[in-house]
Amino acid sequence: MTTHSSAQHEDHFRAGHALGLNHLKLGMWLFLASEVMFFGSLIAVFLNYKFEVPPALEELAALDVTLVGLNTFVLLTSSFTVVLGLSAIKQGDRGGLIRYMLLTLLLGAIFLGGQGYEFTQLFAEGVTLTSSLYGSSFFTLTSFHGLHVFIGLLWVLIVLFNGLRGAYSPDNYDGVEAFGLYWHFVDIVWIILFTIIYLI
Amino acid sequence: MDNKATHSAETSTPRRTYALVFLVLVIITAVEVGLASTALSRGLLTTMFLSLSFAKAALVAGFYMHLNHDNRLYTYLLVLPAILLMVFLTLLILS
Repeated sequence: MTTHSSAQHEDHFRAGHALGLNHLKLGMWLFLASEVMFFGSLIAVFLNYKFEVPPALEELAALDVTLVGLNTFVLLTSSFTVVLGLSAIKQGDRGGLIRYMLLTLLLGAIFLGGQGYEFTQLFAEGVTLTSSLYGSSFFTLTSFHGLHVFIGLLWVLIVLFNGLRGAYSPDNYDGVEAFGLYWHFVDIVWIILFTIIYLI
Repeated sequence: MDNKATHSAETSTPRRTYALVFLVLVIITAVEVGLASTALSRGLLTTMFLSLSFAKAALVAGFYMHLNHDNRLYTYLLVLPAILLMVFLTLLILS
């Protein structure tokens, strides 16, 4: 390899296009692939306990499908605002990005508030982390999802901060896109959790 | 390169499409909550709930995560571990 081609290679690498792919996006997808296995193992544990040691009828009756359905609606709406924010910055609308990210922050916070309210209701019904195998696996699974939403909210704040200082433009929106992938993935995980915990 | 490719593909995804996907997601969720209180057989309900949630996940991944027009490698990165998980869950259920 000549010095010239080596330098060229380095330039491509720095630009993040050595594979013909955006490295940040590829890294994000690799991380999400590992997250599939992370949540997959928690889901497997939850289902195993649910079928091997069936929960008491009172524990199942304590689950509020309507409340959680509303919370699901809130999270789905936040995915919609994220994709609109990305679409806005791609068209050079920085104000639109800021507005949609603020809405995402609000909706994510409402979701976490709803989850917190649901947890207090369950505690009042005697379903806790240590009350039974069902309680342990339920709170482990849903709390890890809630933690992901919380991390997502911190990430929105970073996107907002960067957006306000003009870091994003129609030619540079990788940071918004990477955050969007994470947020939508967390939404997909909730879609699956809602089904296996509250509906099946 | 990738950014530009995604950009040109993105402009072909109008906001109306995102809104339509959102509407379908909300309708499916409302149907799920409604079905949860019906007296249909357990087996039928489980099949319906799993199918509906798969449809919702596919809509979010396809349209909001742009897998429907992005590089196929990203789709494989999401689908491969999901298939491994399905195999694992099947083995778990069979055991």
